[in-house]
Amino acid sequence: MDRAETGVDARTRRGTGGMPLAMLLLPALAVTVLLFGGGLALGVLQALGYLPGAGLTRLTGAHFIRVLSDPDFFLSFGITLYVSVVSTLLAAGISVIAALVLDRLAGQYRPVHFIFQLPLTVPHLVIAVAVMFLLAPAGLLARIAVAVGLIQTPAEFPLLVNDRWSVGIILTYVWKEIPFITLMLLAVLRNTGRDLIDVGRTLKASAWQRFRHITLPTLFPALGAASLIVFAYTFGAFEVPYLLGRTHPMTLPVRAYKDYSDIDLMARPEGIATGLLIALVVAAAVVIAQALTRAARRRGIVI
Amino acid sequence: MKRSGRFSAAATILAAVGLPFATLGLWSLADRWFFPGLLPQSWGLRAWSYILTSAGGQVVNALWQSVAVAAVTAAAAVLVALPAARALGLYEFRGKDPLSVLLTLPIIVPPLSVAMGLHLWFIRMGLAETFIGVVAVHLTFCLPYAVFVLWGVFANYNPDFESQARSLGASRPAVWLRVMLPMIMPGIVVAGLFAFLLSWSQYLSTLIIGGGRLITLPVLLFALMGSGDRPVAAAVSLVFVMPAFVALLFSARHLGGRSLAGVR
Amino acid sequence: MGSLVLKDLAIHYDRQVVVEDFNLAIGEGEMAALLGPSGAGKTTILKAVAGLLAPTRGDILIDGRAVNTLPPEKRDVVMVFQKPLLFPFMNVAQNIAFGLKMRGDGSERRRTAVSRILELTRLEGLGGRKVHALSGGQQQRVALARALVLEPAVLLMDEPLSNLDANLRQEMRELILSIQSELKITTLFVTHDQSEALMMAQRLALLLGGRLRQAGTPQDLFHRPADPEVARFFGGGNFFKGRLQGGVFECALGRLPVSAASGNGHVRTATIRPEDIQLTLDAAGRPGGLAGRVVRTRFEGTATRAWIECDVHEVMVLTAAGELTLGQEVRLHFPPEKIRVFPEDKASE
Ligand SMILES: Nc1ncnc2c1ncn2[C@@H]1O[C@H](COP(=O)(O)OP(=O)(O)O)[C@@H](O)[C@H]1O
Ligand SMILES: [Mg+2]
Repeated sequence: MDRAETGVDARTRRGTGGMPLAMLLLPALAVTVLLFGGGLALGVLQALGYLPGAGLTRLTGAHFIRVLSDPDFFLSFGITLYVSVVSTLLAAGISVIAALVLDRLAGQYRPVHFIFQLPLTVPHLVIAVAVMFLLAPAGLLARIAVAVGLIQTPAEFPLLVNDRWSVGIILTYVWKEIPFITLMLLAVLRNTGRDLIDVGRTLKASAWQRFRHITLPTLFPALGAASLIVFAYTFGAFEVPYLLGRTHPMTLPVRAYKDYSDIDLMARPEGIATGLLIALVVAAAVVIAQALTRAARRRGIVI
Repeated sequence: MKRSGRFSAAATILAAVGLPFATLGLWSLADRWFFPGLLPQSWGLRAWSYILTSAGGQVVNALWQSVAVAAVTAAAAVLVALPAARALGLYEFRGKDPLSVLLTLPIIVPPLSVAMGLHLWFIRMGLAETFIGVVAVHLTFCLPYAVFVLWGVFANYNPDFESQARSLGASRPAVWLRVMLPMIMPGIVVAGLFAFLLSWSQYLSTLIIGGGRLITLPVLLFALMGSGDRPVAAAVSLVFVMPAFVALLFSARHLGGRSLAGVR
Repeated sequence: MGSLVLKDLAIHYDRQVVVEDFNLAIGEGEMAALLGPSGAGKTTILKAVAGLLAPTRGDILIDGRAVNTLPPEKRDVVMVFQKPLLFPFMNVAQNIAFGLKMRGDGSERRRTAVSRILELTRLEGLGGRKVHALSGGQQQRVALARALVLEPAVLLMDEPLSNLDANLRQEMRELILSIQSELKITTLFVTHDQSEALMMAQRLALLLGGRLRQAGTPQDLFHRPADPEVARFFGGGNFFKGRLQGGVFECALGRLPVSAASGNGHVRTATIRPEDIQLTLDAAGRPGGLAGRVVRTRFEGTATRAWIECDVHEVMVLTAAGELTLGQEVRLHFPPEKIRVFPEDKASE
């Protein structure tokens, strides 16, 4: 019988052998709804001006309007989007290559695999600090440039941190996220990749065709999911752009926290509103990515 | 792949991964390092001894604070995630899809959006600036990872082993303890490790909820970066990555090393 | 369509020799089986023919031309793997059309070829299905269709039936046979199941421990095994050591007349299949033969397997003769033409 018709996997059960399903799900659900949902909901209330402690109980869209009518907001939005899109694309592209190379290295150079995983466990903040010491005008790279005679003074070294193009920020993200994406891809390659490639070879696919028609589609779901996570993280992260970014325009998360922690308590709802807008953009990105994927599937070239 | 190709691939990876640590290592051992010296003019352990002796053991305290927060968060995340993951991995039920989306949603929503909203509520409940408050906000973001990892574990878990044990006379608690637990142990370790590392590197949510009262390593490191003492900042950065290295070594030994896929 | 010749093939994994001195010739349009227990090296040989593994030594010839140096995509060989290995991101029709597309066939051509092959493999109407929405048997047929549609000179199949349950297996076996006889594609398929190999193959090769033990028609291997191990693989029993002289095999059971050419008196091994021994109940009385007593029986449906103690020897018999009781006295008759005396046993000398 077709599995699709029964809709039940051979190993999935309906009975739970004792505990009702609700009991199993309750703790996680409670934590998520209370802390996560509650945090967002309370954020929305505060961003709408509901601050009973300060005697403000009328809801108003004024804070959102003030945030959105500030031209600086869109500069911030632009730089944030730029940083996260470029970081994600760079990391994803390099990861595809890295995954293929590591898959080939399989078995040999075991320590390399181990070392490759190191960045996974390192906090972003540490790498931001290292990148600062490395790329700053008096950093290690500038000193190397002097040593090999490229420049004489720190001023001659191109600005790579707190710079216009956010080189330092992007570099930090790329360094951090490549192993994350690569290991997700590697898991896929190891599970199904090699066998399918062999099938492709006997079905007369050339090396390029195997990459284009087998490897890429095989990797696509994992690559898409990992990239989305990276995009979401880089769009909403504070530490790295705070350390390595310019003070104007600052990225949205930095801006949100600046407002939130302002001594002027009235700026606080604007900070929260900015934080919620960040969440909204990320959510929209997920929805758009899913819609695009579905459209691509539908249009899938039929024989 | 050709031998030379393999070698250069390995060398590239080694250099790219090693460079930041080499930089931090150099800075942490520099006593005086004026531009444009390629290496410090004088070497010393000032930064490292500062870590141990600074006013009231600031760094050591922050280290323990970080360890405590991350360990409690990880334990809580695994405990809460375990039953939910079992339900998701083993059973089909109505509303499973929206529920799983809800449970994994915090993976993509930035912590700052949530922490800001929670802050006021936590102040009301007296959780702001407390250990529990910080753990609670970390848990919000570590839980979905734990659920995700353990869900995968249970999706590959065959509950018939439990039925077999029951039919051999084991009680229900004995089945959980002696059949289920050993079988999913690697998954539990990975999930715990994920949650630990994630909590370990949280900065902004700790700052917002902890209100500067709860000093974890990243909070301290940020303050040091502001003070401009590069050698000390470098040394603290290295202290900050140490537990991560230990975790990786541990996972390499006990989990075959490959299981770290998915950690961020 | 083409012939396939494997000459002195040797294959290593790292240091381990997996296949050695392997020779096999398959004629154009022939259906050949490579039979052997698990781990014998069957998959390894198929992969070498497909080009996925480089043999250490030897030649692979298709239509008389050596293809050793050609990569798999340049060989006119398609392999169907043990698992269906369908591309999960394509539907059934896209999977089947894959090879055609790689070859550069236009979409119209692909469509006609696919619909023809869907019909041939009895998958009509499933072209738009997602592959994970197929049953195991259907998946296997899609994998077969995906290979057949390329009309390769040589088709390789690695245990195509082993993942199916008994009913499906029979259905699939008939399907493969009818397609093969219709398309006349030279086919080499692998199996560990001797009855499957006997039923399906026109030519049969038995592989034991990476070495070819015997190749020939199914009848050759079944009735005229080259050595005791081959006989044992096909369910043979009853091996006796003795000397062949003047049409008589002299062994512990006594002097058995045989129809084999006379030997020189050296030690040799003889065998007789359990179903070739004629068993008579003592009472019914037919003169001659060997007296024995039933020590063990096992009912197998169409026949009963019985172990008969003749003197100190135990002889295994497969008989349709009524019900046997333990301890019963019976007589065994060994038709001379059914006794196979193996060539001289070099190892034991
Ligand atoms: N990739 C490999 N590396 C090393 N040894 C292998 C590999 N694949 C198979 N072998 C070994 O080669 C032998 C033959 O394997 P295989 O051809 O798969 O056998 P069969 O298909 O007959 O079951 C086995 O002993 C197996 O362990
Ligand atoms: Mg095999």
